[in-house]
Amino acid sequence: MTWVGWRLQRTETLIVVGILALLAALLVPTGIQMANAYHRDGLSACLSMNAGPTCADAIGSFRAHFQSLLDLGSWFNLVPGLIGVLLAAPFILELEHGTYRLAWTQSITRRRWLAGKLGMLVAATLVAAGAMIALFTWWRASSIHLDGRLDNGNYDFTGTVILGYTLFALALALALGAVWRRAAASLAVAFVGYFVTRILVDYKVRDHLVAPLKATFKGAQPPSVLYNAHILSIHGDVHGRQVASGGGFFFSATKLAAPNMQGLVMHVTYQPQSQFWPLQLTETGVFVGLAAALLAFAAWWTSTRTT
Amino acid sequence: MSETLAVRTSRLGKRYGSRWALRDCTLEIPRGSVAALVGPNGAGKTTLLHLVIGLVDPTDGTVEVFGRSPKRDASEVLPQVAFVAQDHPLHRNLKIGEMLHYGRNLNPTWNQDLAVARIERLGLSLDQKVGRLSGGQQAQIALTLALAKRPQLLLLDEPVASLDPLARREFLNGVMEAVVDEGITVVLSSHIVAELERVCDRLVTLAQGAVQLNGSIAEIVASHRVLTGPRSDAASVARVHDVIRESHTERQTTLLVRANGHVYDSCWEQHEVDLEEIVLAYLGYRPGGSATQTPTLEAVAT
Repeated sequence: MTWVGWRLQRTETLIVVGILALLAALLVPTGIQMANAYHRDGLSACLSMNAGPTCADAIGSFRAHFQSLLDLGSWFNLVPGLIGVLLAAPFILELEHGTYRLAWTQSITRRRWLAGKLGMLVAATLVAAGAMIALFTWWRASSIHLDGRLDNGNYDFTGTVILGYTLFALALALALGAVWRRAAASLAVAFVGYFVTRILVDYKVRDHLVAPLKATFKGAQPPSVLYNAHILSIHGDVHGRQVASGGGFFFSATKLAAPNMQGLVMHVTYQPQSQFWPLQLTETGVFVGLAAALLAFAAWWTSTRTT
Repeated sequence: MSETLAVRTSRLGKRYGSRWALRDCTLEIPRGSVAALVGPNGAGKTTLLHLVIGLVDPTDGTVEVFGRSPKRDASEVLPQVAFVAQDHPLHRNLKIGEMLHYGRNLNPTWNQDLAVARIERLGLSLDQKVGRLSGGQQAQIALTLALAKRPQLLLLDEPVASLDPLARREFLNGVMEAVVDEGITVVLSSHIVAELERVCDRLVTLAQGAVQLNGSIAEIVASHRVLTGPRSDAASVARVHDVIRESHTERQTTLLVRANGHVYDSCWEQHEVDLEEIVLAYLGYRPGGSATQTPTLEAVAT
């Protein structure tokens, strides 16, 4: 089963390796540039609140150089989806071409065939996801130092969520393909489904995965716990009269907000840096859970509904 | 008891949606026989074979292969049975050698020497891509995969339907060699009767999802007769023998009967009848073209 499994998913695995190589070719040179600039400008000395005006200049110049590149990097959110659905192709092709009948009339049972086949796909997906996490985390190191890991761009590419995203894309394509038995169409629809799900989770679900904290502080000087925290909402009032509100931004060395007003009280709802892992693991769990349900469905449908 | 039977089905039925693909099918195929499963397209031949190999589950009744359920005891039954599907699916992007590796990987009983020798005898090389082979060659690769598994029972679904006469002959010769060398049981489905007599010793006819005829070919041929006589109704004959088909002209009546013992009535002239004509009679075809009376079968030809 091992040789067969590998031989029949070899083409797709090599395409995925090619995608990862292309990704590395894009990320490694620009990543080295960023790392060099970060060290040359001594930005590591600026990693606290109110690090001083020279830091603000240095960080400003770093951003002027690299922020658009980092923002462009958010397109890489599509890569886990692409790799996930691609790895589902050999399984669906086997259903489309009818070669599963050949497999099911050899000496191994359908159950073992399914377990071996899906197991190898999941393993390949996990390896590819691990490679992506390593690559992206390294590339975004400077940004992680400056903006923290809860910054949306950094959050999406570090930690464990990519494992969940890639597995979800794989399982969605497998489930669609099990029913539809058309590889190209299933992959395309699964890719769109992946994208829609990601957007939904990013904008609607993520902030509520772990209960946010609330804090109240006086004056314009935020407490250090808000450093690089993800601010969900903020209201300022002077003697009960609301003077400012907002949300969705970060307090970092260059993002100091609010004028210094006498009697200003700020009410903040936020996710502190320390919530990074609880958030990551919960979101990963959600996607892995969805993936497991879809995989189980694909296996059940294939073994009982396919003749 | 069941040890002497390769396949036994009892009131076996399979329904897809509201349509019965196979219904009330009871038959026994003894070990060591080469059985032809004959019927028009859509008669349930493929469904029956799929039930025997365990690709589908019965809706009704039971199927046993060497006394075991192909579904429940899949891990025991599968190594003993090989199946060549009608479209003989193969991985077209693999080389022949890789296709054999596939077989070796998935079958503990695999005989690589046998497989390689067969490929050489076919004049093919292990480096050739499966997708580039002709239909006949691909059928031969599928048969090689099935035989190298060293099965006790070989199921062939319309193995020769898509082949030209030469490839057809070569394919059946390959099957016959295995029968002689290994003594395996073969069940092959076909809607072509010609050539079957050369290969098979048993016949099962299926039409509209039910079994009409099931027995040894020699016995079937020996027991069927064509009777011709003056125009009359066949009631007197039908009291003793099974009238399969009757046709009348103005002056003459022709009957195809399954004779129970001798036909003594001197007003009937008796003729031998060949297998193809018997099968066609059971399947409701009539070479002559005039009205035919085969109550269970007349819709089959459409």
